[in-house]
Amino acid sequence: MQIGIFSVGDVTPDPTTGRTPTEHERIRATVEIAKKADEIGLDVFATGEHHNPPFVSSAPTTTLAWIGAQTENLILSTATTLITTTDPVLIAENYAKLQHLTGGRVDLMLGRGNTGPVYPWFGKDIRDGLNLAIENYDLLHRLWREDVVNWQGRFRTPLQGFTSTPRPLDGAPPFVWHGSIRSPEIAEQAAYYGNGFFHNHIFWPPSHAGQMIDLYRRRFEHYGHGAADQAIVGLGGQFFMRPNSQDAWKEFRPYFDVAPVYGHGPSLEDFASQTPLTVGSPQQVLERTLGFREYAGDYQRQLFLVDHAGLPLKTVLEQLDLLGEILPALRAGFAEGRPDHVPDAPTHDSLAASASQREEVDA
Amino acid sequence: MIRVAVVSAGLGAPSSTRLLADLLGEATERAVAARGESVETTHVELRPLARALADHLVTGFPADDLAAALRSVQHADAVIAVTPVFAASYSGLFKTFFDVVEPGALDGTPVLVAATAGTARHSLVLEHAMRPLFAHLRAAPVPTGVFAASEDFGDAGAGGVTGSLQKRVDRAAAELAALLATDAGAAPTPRRRSVEDEFADPTPFETLLRGARQGDDD
Repeated sequence: MQIGIFSVGDVTPDPTTGRTPTEHERIRATVEIAKKADEIGLDVFATGEHHNPPFVSSAPTTTLAWIGAQTENLILSTATTLITTTDPVLIAENYAKLQHLTGGRVDLMLGRGNTGPVYPWFGKDIRDGLNLAIENYDLLHRLWREDVVNWQGRFRTPLQGFTSTPRPLDGAPPFVWHGSIRSPEIAEQAAYYGNGFFHNHIFWPPSHAGQMIDLYRRRFEHYGHGAADQAIVGLGGQFFMRPNSQDAWKEFRPYFDVAPVYGHGPSLEDFASQTPLTVGSPQQVLERTLGFREYAGDYQRQLFLVDHAGLPLKTVLEQLDLLGEILPALRAGFAEGRPDHVPDAPTHDSLAASASQREEVDA
Repeated sequence: MIRVAVVSAGLGAPSSTRLLADLLGEATERAVAARGESVETTHVELRPLARALADHLVTGFPADDLAAALRSVQHADAVIAVTPVFAASYSGLFKTFFDVVEPGALDGTPVLVAATAGTARHSLVLEHAMRPLFAHLRAAPVPTGVFAASEDFGDAGAGGVTGSLQKRVDRAAAELAALLATDAGAAPTPRRRSVEDEFADPTPFETLLRGARQGDDD
């Protein structure tokens, strides 16, 4: 089980002080948070990609390379890389480069992004969103697996005899997760390629995440990648914890109430009961998180959103300390009752091993 | 079994909008039953869903009661939609509900439009506001819309409803029932695929990939 955090990189005023961090502070804070994640023994740090204020998460490979240079074990991922508006050739090059620099500690999570205005900034049309996600990934998949690509599509210029460089480290492209909140087509896409499927799992009710995962698992089996319960599933999640549950509610409430993504809507109580958001003691976070398996099955990756809505860096680091304290129990809980045939999430080592096996067979 | 969803956006208690909705629902049941078919009527009262609708706009997902209401409209064979007139149009609550109905959910669905107001001078709201809304939703409004002003709820007819209103209700219900007549020979109205359809029977990826290349989305 891989456990980690994912960040969207929002610059939001702290509602309790009215102070907004500068972009510079927020960018540096992101790095501090990732280093802390490595220190407490988390497996994954993932950053979102946005190209508009109030986010500072553009240029994700720059951020991840800097973090990669200062951490030891952390898998560096995205959440998500915009497969719609970013040229797949550029994605192939950037992430292969990152993979070489970090010794293979790289994953890619692909998404469409959700703000309409972004598309024309990159010469695209949001009405093509789904088709862009499908065609662009199909090209990216080939660029990492075929040394010379001849390709023609609808959304970019044709490629003739093109070789993307650098080639993936050890002949093993970064593992790809397809992320989607609500589009069954993306679960279908993940299943078709035998890639991972990640459900953001922070905005919508668990029943919806369950439905998407179920579809992905069924179709993973349909396309012959293994049994449904061997499909590679990731879930998001979010919590706010304090040793005393009442303190957690009291402290988190002002951040929730005006948060850009869900403020001004349901009460914190309603949102926490309708979605996987958990506010409470470490024990409560532990129990609810382990309960995700009731609808997701035995899954491979759990990422938490912890640094958003204007929470100050100090608070975020304290959240990570508390997460560190329940981490062994979380790992033990996820391992309990997990059937042997359910695989772990692929890593660079496992993918490189099967790549070299394939080479031997070919030879 | 024919499923009818009656959506009413009245805010008062008792509400004349709900009263009109009940008259239309009952008249539709009678008209369909006269042909020997059974009807299952679901009433969707929007007032108790007002908070949930506002939350849905912010969060993007419906809370449980609202989700059930949306399902009953999506799965209905016919919809009766009744709103009070606010500021020369349907009420904001009424519009918000139809704003969050999934695109395609009402494709080809017969809809009876109805409205209430204090004065008969608002009656054109049916024609200049409600019909365009349901045309946009690709629904099939019946020719007769029913408008009721306060004076229509006098005591001339049975149950405090004037004979004239009851006649209009019955005519509209008969038109709705006629559109629901079972016709084995007719091809079903084509509907856009819903998210529910994709979960039940996903579009194979090869089809999605071909569609992406050819640009035949939608």
